[in-house]
This record gives sequence, C-alpha cells and structure tokens, in this order.
Amino acid sequence: MAVKIRLRRMGQKKAPFYRIVVSDSRSPRDGRFIEELGTYDPTKEPNAFKINEEAAKKWLQNGAQPTDTVGNLFKKAGITK
Amino acid sequence: MAVKHLPADVLCMGVFMDNTDISQKLQEKVYLSLLYDFYGELLKNHNKQIFEDYILNDLSLGEIAQEQGISRQGVYDIVKRCSKHLTDYEEKLGLIHKFETTRQMAEEIHSLAAELKTEYREDTLEKVLALSRNMIEVL
Repeated sequence: MAVKIRLRRMGQKKAPFYRIVVSDSRSPRDGRFIEELGTYDPTKEPNAFKINEEAAKKWLQNGAQPTDTVGNLFKKAGITK
Repeated sequence: MAVKHLPADVLCMGVFMDNTDISQKLQEKVYLSLLYDFYGELLKNHNKQIFEDYILNDLSLGEIAQEQGISRQGVYDIVKRCSKHLTDYEEKLGLIHKFETTRQMAEEIHSLAAELKTEYREDTLEKVLALSRNMIEVL
C-alpha cells in the first residue's frame, strides 16, 4: 500500500491551520487518514510546527512518501536531510 | 480504519521557524488557501474541486490528474488559472488586506483594554479611542 504524508488544511475560514497526516495514496479524496503526526500553524510568528518525530521517522523508514511541502517542513525541522 | 489522533503528550517536538525558513512554495500555498477562503465560492465547481485538492489537501498534480482523468498539464493550467482569478479578485476588492488590518487593530484595542482594566491611564485610553476611530474609518 502506497502511503503518503501530507498536509491537510484545517481551521476555520480565514484562520489557516494544518495537520500533518499519514494517508493511503489510493483514496486521496475521501478525507480519511491513518495517523496524525503533527500540526503546522502559519499564523503564529514565528511559524509553529509540531511533530511526533519518532512516528514520522518510523513512517519514513517504512516507505511513506512525504509531499513536497511536508518534505520541506521535515527538512527544516531536521527530521530528514 | 482506526484513526489515531495526536496524543497531547511530550512525544511531540515543537519547532519554531522563521518565515524565511519556510519554502516559498509552502508560503504560497498558505496564501492561496487564504484567497480561497475569501473568494473560493467564485470559482467554477469543477475548477474549485481541483484547486481544493491541490491547495487544501496537498495532493500532487499527478494524483489529481489520475483522479480526474485529465492530463497533469491540464491540472497545472487549472490551478494556475484559479490562482490568477483569486489574485485578481484580491487586487480589485482587497478584502484580505482589509480583514488583516481590521483584525490587527481589534487585537491592539483588545490588549489595551486589558491593560486599562488593571491600571487606568489617560494615555492608554487615548490610544484606544484613536485606534477605534481609525478602525471605523478603514471600514
């Protein structure tokens, strides 16, 4: 099963807030996800990114593919190089 | 499928980043999602769905193309076109700009009022009056 790590926009209108979630790439539209790894709040200064590092590393080791945007966040947080 | 929500324990690592740390692409996505909040309803239904998938659900162009049965280039064109429309709306109507300035002023008034509650000062009150007057004029 191909698994992806994506951002998912949550939050009220006009107040963006994201969850970092693990989801099955075959059902991208149905909104379900397997596990939540963290959150990203771009409205905070500086931007707040919270992540369960252990879980994230575990998923990456098991072949989960982060999207470009998540990959960028992971890199900045030092989870991947 | 069981959904595991994030436990509110210490396992989480909190990272604070400067805006300069965040890739331009991500910043752009955040801004486009804000544009979508304000003007998204003006997009055509089909385009709106594609834009949502790309901007809000973080799907790749390829994934959307497969899902919709159109080419990757087609998806890219639609996303670009939608972004252009939304940016044009903001340029003409400026609702986001207005919203942000109003909110900032309201927040300032709020914290000044809180200050007043603990310690009454003439100049703080003057600031509240000036700010609220300003806010009315911006509207």
